[in-house]
Amino acid sequence: MPVVEWFIEPFALGFQQRALVGGVLAGLMCSVVGTWLVLRGMSFFGDAFTHGVIPGIAAAVVLDIDPILGAAVAAAVMVVGIESVNRQTNLSVDTAIGLLFVGMLALGVVIISQVPSYTGSLTSILFGDALGVTSSDLVRQAVLAVVIIAAAVLLYRPFLALAFNEQKAELLGMQPRRAHAALLVLIAASVIGSFQAVGTLLVFGLLVGPPATASLLARTVPRMMLWAAGIATVSVWFGLILSYHLGTAASATMALIPVVVFFVVLAGVRIRARVAAPSEVPAT
Amino acid sequence: MTHLIEADHVVIRYGTHTALAASTFHVPRVGATAVIGPNGSGKSSLLSAFAGLVPTASGTLRVLEQEPVQAQRRLSYVLQHTAVAKTTPITVREAVGLGAYPKVGLWRRFGAAEKAAVAGAMEQMGISHLSERHLHELSGGQRQRVYVAQAMVQTHEVLLLDEPLTGLDLVSAQTIDDLIHRERQDRCSVLLTTHDLDEARAADWVLLVNRTVLAFGPPAEVLTRHNLEIAYGLGALHGWEGFLDQHTDDEVP
Repeated sequence: MPVVEWFIEPFALGFQQRALVGGVLAGLMCSVVGTWLVLRGMSFFGDAFTHGVIPGIAAAVVLDIDPILGAAVAAAVMVVGIESVNRQTNLSVDTAIGLLFVGMLALGVVIISQVPSYTGSLTSILFGDALGVTSSDLVRQAVLAVVIIAAAVLLYRPFLALAFNEQKAELLGMQPRRAHAALLVLIAASVIGSFQAVGTLLVFGLLVGPPATASLLARTVPRMMLWAAGIATVSVWFGLILSYHLGTAASATMALIPVVVFFVVLAGVRIRARVAAPSEVPAT
Repeated sequence: MTHLIEADHVVIRYGTHTALAASTFHVPRVGATAVIGPNGSGKSSLLSAFAGLVPTASGTLRVLEQEPVQAQRRLSYVLQHTAVAKTTPITVREAVGLGAYPKVGLWRRFGAAEKAAVAGAMEQMGISHLSERHLHELSGGQRQRVYVAQAMVQTHEVLLLDEPLTGLDLVSAQTIDDLIHRERQDRCSVLLTTHDLDEARAADWVLLVNRTVLAFGPPAEVLTRHNLEIAYGLGALHGWEGFLDQHTDDEVP
């Protein structure tokens, strides 16, 4: 098979093209929001969040309503739950997140087990249905992506100040508590906007994988976002090609690539540092 | 004469822990004020309360004749060991530029004035050559100079510094110390916490703290042997009497 065809054939049909567009949109919003998620050390929160929306989607499947609505309600429950455990107990925040994480995941499975085609429904929620994305899904996802990316760019200064130091952010008038809340909303929105294309479990791969890799390469936050967006886009594209030729699950293949890329880049960075000799940072 | 700080029975509490018991004192608008006391005596809490970061549990605290939170815009505060996550890719220039955020707000671009302020502050702190470095690539002293430069960029009438010289290399300590003296001459008030008696003696006004403000006033009146024994505990002073005596008639630079 000629090389060019190997790259083009996987996108010959409409549903394949829609899978690509949906994946790229998911990749773009996740990499911008995920950059702040990684910088703030909130990966566990992001992980919990991507599972926390499952009962909402499951309930939507059972009740035959819009899964995005269900996911949004579940996301709100998740945030309120974590915050109230945080405020009313001395437990650390990861315990609060863990409680909500397992509770929501279990609830999701309980709800979905009421559906006759139990396994199939759960699989498509967790791992997405990249090849089943419709045009109207894409339009909605694109609108959400534009809003999310615009918000993340407009709130650059409060987010940077918050990543720098919370007290300093307050002294600089950057309202760290509101900035934190805004970041939670953006994380929730990107999970909700992306899960149909790549599945709830694998949104997390796009939230963490490309920004983590980008952090090895970039020296400023805007660069990190650009690198992450590039890595996410290539991962989605190449993931779909591979899944087509190898007959593997589309969204899982897409999610696997950024993680592989991370370790490849890490090895590359280490080797380059080794080769460039141990030039120490000079004092003063 | 207006007061920089007026405190009437101010109490600072974290949950059930009292960091500062009822303290009544004032600080006039003088050049430099030193807050001195042993470790964990509530010095930092006091500074944070001045900056409006920590609410007072009771009593009234006025900063520049306003509520601390309202006066926040008129202060610039160099936090002690600002912990910045190693992963945050932020350059020295960008970190210093954060000081201009109150002025430019969320979206306005940095103008010529802000860029000049950032360059000037880096120059004064001797960190211009490090401007594209990452914070975590610097030594502790260099990092502290970045935080001071950041505070200089921020418009302020009062500069607060929490243990600005503790544990620094000589060059960094000297650079920051020079700045403190310059700020005093520029009619800007400086308020700093310190462990160091010499530093406190060089100030115009001193607050002696141990879980409460024990004494306040000009250094010669506050830093007496009697007061220091109360603040640091009798036992602690045993054996370093010479250290205290040596400095009793120290010249004020």
